[in-house]
Amino acid sequence: MKPASFDYARPQSLSDALKLLAIHGDNAKIIAGGQSLVPMMNFRISRPELLIDINKIPDLDYHECSSDGHYLKIGALARHETLRNSALIAQYCPLMHKAYQHVAHVVVRNRGTLCGNLAHADPASEMPAVMLALDATMVIRSNQGERKVQAEDFFKGLYSTDIKKDEILVEVQIPILDESFRFGFAELSPRKGDYASTLVAVMFKLIKGKIESAALSYAGISDRPVRAPAAEKALLGQEPSSDLFQKVSTIVVQEIYLKKEDLESHVFQADLIQTLTPRALLNAIASHDQ
Amino acid sequence: MSNQFIEINLIVNGKSVQKNVSPRLLLVDFLRHDLHLTGTHVGCEHGVCGACNIDLDGKTARSCLLFAVQVDGAVINTVESLGTMSHMHPLQESFWEKHGLQCGFCTPGMLMSANELLKNNPNPTRDEVIEAISSNLCRCTGYQTIVDAVLSAAQEMKKNEVITS
Amino acid sequence: MNKRYIPDLDIPASRRREGPRENYSWIGKSMKRVEDPRLLTGKGKYIDDIEVPNMAHAAILRSPYAHALIKSINISEALKLPGVISVITGAEFAKLTGPTVTFSSPAVVQHAIAKDRVRYVGEAVAAVVAEDRYIAEDALELIEVVYEELPTVTDIHKMSSASGAEVLHPERGETNTASDSVFTFGPVDEDFARADLIVRRKIRWNRSGPQPMETAGAVADYDEGTGKFTVYCNTSMYTYVGWLCAVSLGVSPTQLNIIPTLAGGSFGSKLFLHRIIVLTAGLSRIAGRPVKYIEDRLDNMLNADAHGSDRAYDFELAVKKDGTVLSMRYEVIDDYGAYLQYGLGTHGNAFSQVIGPYRINSVQAHIIAVLSNKCQQGAYRGFGSEVTNFVLERMMDATAKELGMDPVEIRRRNLIRPEEFPYIIPSGNVYDIGNYQEVLNKALEMFDMSSWRSKQSEALKEGRYIGIGIVSCQERSVFSSTEFWSLNSPDQPGFQLTSSPESVSLKIDAAGKAFVKLNAPFWGNSPETVVTQIVAEALTLDPSDITVGYVDTDSGFNGTGPGGSRYTVMVAGAVVSGVKTLREKLFKFAAHMMECGTGDLELRAGMIGIKGVPDKEKSIADVAMMSHYFRLSFPDEDGFESGLETTAVYDHPLTTMPPDDRNHLGIFYPIMGHMAHLAAVEVDPKTGHVKILDYVAVHDCGTMVNPMTLAGHVRGGTAQGIGSALFEQFKYDDQSQLLTANFTDYHIPTAHEMPINIRVGHVETPSPYTEFGIKGGGEGGRMAAPPVLVQAIEDALKPFGVEFMEIPLTPQRIREILREVGH
Repeated sequence: MKPASFDYARPQSLSDALKLLAIHGDNAKIIAGGQSLVPMMNFRISRPELLIDINKIPDLDYHECSSDGHYLKIGALARHETLRNSALIAQYCPLMHKAYQHVAHVVVRNRGTLCGNLAHADPASEMPAVMLALDATMVIRSNQGERKVQAEDFFKGLYSTDIKKDEILVEVQIPILDESFRFGFAELSPRKGDYASTLVAVMFKLIKGKIESAALSYAGISDRPVRAPAAEKALLGQEPSSDLFQKVSTIVVQEIYLKKEDLESHVFQADLIQTLTPRALLNAIASHDQ
Repeated sequence: MSNQFIEINLIVNGKSVQKNVSPRLLLVDFLRHDLHLTGTHVGCEHGVCGACNIDLDGKTARSCLLFAVQVDGAVINTVESLGTMSHMHPLQESFWEKHGLQCGFCTPGMLMSANELLKNNPNPTRDEVIEAISSNLCRCTGYQTIVDAVLSAAQEMKKNEVITS
Repeated sequence: MNKRYIPDLDIPASRRREGPRENYSWIGKSMKRVEDPRLLTGKGKYIDDIEVPNMAHAAILRSPYAHALIKSINISEALKLPGVISVITGAEFAKLTGPTVTFSSPAVVQHAIAKDRVRYVGEAVAAVVAEDRYIAEDALELIEVVYEELPTVTDIHKMSSASGAEVLHPERGETNTASDSVFTFGPVDEDFARADLIVRRKIRWNRSGPQPMETAGAVADYDEGTGKFTVYCNTSMYTYVGWLCAVSLGVSPTQLNIIPTLAGGSFGSKLFLHRIIVLTAGLSRIAGRPVKYIEDRLDNMLNADAHGSDRAYDFELAVKKDGTVLSMRYEVIDDYGAYLQYGLGTHGNAFSQVIGPYRINSVQAHIIAVLSNKCQQGAYRGFGSEVTNFVLERMMDATAKELGMDPVEIRRRNLIRPEEFPYIIPSGNVYDIGNYQEVLNKALEMFDMSSWRSKQSEALKEGRYIGIGIVSCQERSVFSSTEFWSLNSPDQPGFQLTSSPESVSLKIDAAGKAFVKLNAPFWGNSPETVVTQIVAEALTLDPSDITVGYVDTDSGFNGTGPGGSRYTVMVAGAVVSGVKTLREKLFKFAAHMMECGTGDLELRAGMIGIKGVPDKEKSIADVAMMSHYFRLSFPDEDGFESGLETTAVYDHPLTTMPPDDRNHLGIFYPIMGHMAHLAAVEVDPKTGHVKILDYVAVHDCGTMVNPMTLAGHVRGGTAQGIGSALFEQFKYDDQSQLLTANFTDYHIPTAHEMPINIRVGHVETPSPYTEFGIKGGGEGGRMAAPPVLVQAIEDALKPFGVEFMEIPLTPQRIREILREVGH
């Protein structure tokens, strides 16, 4: 399974890369880690005429706190393995740290990048769901300038995001949340490290024993990661309990699978939603108490 | 259709290499057929089986998911750099002792993954070894003796304080 | 020995020359493998490592349709692409090259490149030969094929009633049923009439496949000057039936030389790569260049002629209320895919041990083999017997449940007793020897059943579901040739071969070193190691003085090769035979040198010496040197020809012909290994996730040559059984499109999915029929793991009252089954 022919460019700067994208647009593809792109090229599903290799562009491999300490900034070439092993991430983004225990394998994480993974937008992948839960901001740049897109507007569908043909996702910004927040993650996949059959990333704020805000974010159940706003609302003002979590899971299923046919063709996912959601929520409490 | 030929310069198993390659030439094909280093194997060409694992600038990478043009300036080590018939690496010795291979096809990739693990974690637990080799598929052994071999090599290497490169 | 089934079946006398011994020097040692150093250092030579001068590369155009007529193929654009040497359609290919090899009779005709019609997604429609594989694949995209789609039947229960345009091979008749026959062995009706209870279940075994890490491939060179093909290939059986490829190529067998390469795993998939050989050789002839064709993984999953069994059973057991099983009766539909290369071999194979280790009196099997728009079945570790093991063990468990019996107890009640061997089973095969009670007891002890039962009930109190499985199964070894044709209709049996030998060439050089040449390939089994051990034992040499190599078909002799767990047994037979010849010659020279009779001599630690006289001896090396170079020092008589070499052919130790009426099949697979597997699992009923907590496998493979490599096969086979049981399926949709055609969708277990420690135990009941009493053991792990895991899952979910009668049991499937009963 050999890829189709392409031209290759290895720009030394982001502006050079963006200039190339401006010229070639849809006919070009950015390669960072290549762990998702190259298999598709080898299958000839993806056939860019120009491959723009950004791996040599300096100053893109970073993850750090913003100067005001309100958010984490993760650059385009930050590799999964770096983030997975990072004490900074463990401290300032526990949800990402938990989710990383389920992401792929060392060799894939050595090359694969978080931004590349988000730009690829596999509907059963962990990090898009995490970004959606955390309301992350995608920083997208073109020759014309820079814009920001929130996660909820970023994931558009199957392998499809808001990134335009002359743009690159250069940074992800993730709000740093304080001690009142709880994070949980649960996934079922065919084998450890595989994309999920279903996964849920949860986050909620607990003030005086009551839930003040919540995010329930899912992957593997649709063509993109999804939140469950009605279920999230049902958590507000409530005290955490297994019963509450179970009840809320049912609401998730109802709001995601509105049509009977949708539910009938997603029975397995519906089951998993109702099992994994309470587990993730309970885990969020238990792991914090440890 | 691209007519590009791009010159790459890199170090492979300690030797300087200079070649002109077409952009779409996969690194695994470059290693196997241009450099005749046939120890690295092709199992799937879509990044799942691990038979093509090599060491790229100190970390394992799937050579079926890299293009040769991308590794200009890189330092690559393949299984041939680990040891020779007359002077095997402790990992190779352990795999031999513990029956960590049967058909041998996944073995070079396994050795590269194991080598990376022991460089970063000279005293791994059984679970950590399993995690490290979990993206190397083996159809012959059931993995158990491979894990035994890696743990045994770790013991040996601590004893000898061998420095792996 | 029981005679009650087949009174007229006499078991031929044993031809064994070397019995089992108390003290071996090399046999029984877990010697490090001879093969390993080169494999570990990346110096193994697999097929894709072979390069010949001026070599071109081939790629095949795979059909996107499951069933279609080929209306036209336009290759003109593809031919224009720079770097393309030839573009070949099926019609073009068929001008010089006939259909590829098949053991089916009447033949189900297959061409290496489809002619007129494609019958499964992935079938080769055209081929390109180009300067490199990249260009070849570019050229494939420029070939325009016009198809006329035909309908496809995908429900296994509807395949035998397919008609009209649904028929894959209309020249064979208006049906996709390749064979529909009933085999009755013993008094089935009477046994069912006297039963207290009939237990009936429907059982489904879905198809998975070997999927070794290395795909199949060949490098072929057609020499226009001599008209001879030289083909490197990672195939087996090349000296046995490889010449049949020459027939396809339209040349004399002497015009085809097949050179084996190391195979990166096979598990049956490389048993006989006739299509790959015929394809690559034929392309080389047309292209006028040597051609390399290596399957990529897509080729291998869609198009490898190597899918496993795909069966739906309707099964009945006739039992007495004390749990004694009297008889079994089943109807099985087997979906073979588009072709039938091994005929009904996978059912013949199953008949070798169809009653399992139990004293079942009679068997009736209604076998319906259907053809469908899928990749054809090949050989996969077990070759159909792993399925009957699964089905029978599930039936034993269903019976135990209906009778309220413990699963261990019902097995004990039915196990054949040690004093009953050799045991003739209703289908005519013989179980040579065994001690099934000892295997079971050892397994139970290693597993600590009572401890696990306590853990199970403790877990249940906590709302966790632990289950335990226990199975007792046969693993036949050393298949014989009649299996290839004995299930064919007696009026069209096909080629009724009765030879399935193994051969070696053996020589001792002037320095006293032994050199053995094998006629069979390396698959990951350890042929060089076991042969080294056996030769070392037989000649009292040190392993370091023995070298093992492989010959091609030009120089080779009839060798059936690995498969059916036969190689170690058969090569031991050939080695013993060859060593006997060499030893006689050595003794003749030595007797002259030491002025004694040959009867006074013995081999001891590399020396030839006079029995009872420790200081009267000469080294093998000294005698060898004399024999090679000093003819005039010996009498002018026969037997003193210079040198020490021989070839030895060893035939199957115990085969008999099936009678014409086929009321039994004769003896064809008598070297009967046996195993008990036990497993503890935890199932999460809410997600369907299964975790294997503990696993014990006790095997009886007779005398073990190398316990370490045998345990390797047990664990590796078990791992594949775990794959088939829980993870793997070649899933086709309702258009017969393969949904699981890559490693992302087809889930081969990783190290994470294995139990932490598969504990292996051994029992040895040496075979009376094989040299040293060796039995084969390569397949057994896979032949017991599926039923033990399914039983354990069922046991774990006993509180939910569900039965599991299928594989694979993925989380999704477990959830579906639980949901059906309201959970």
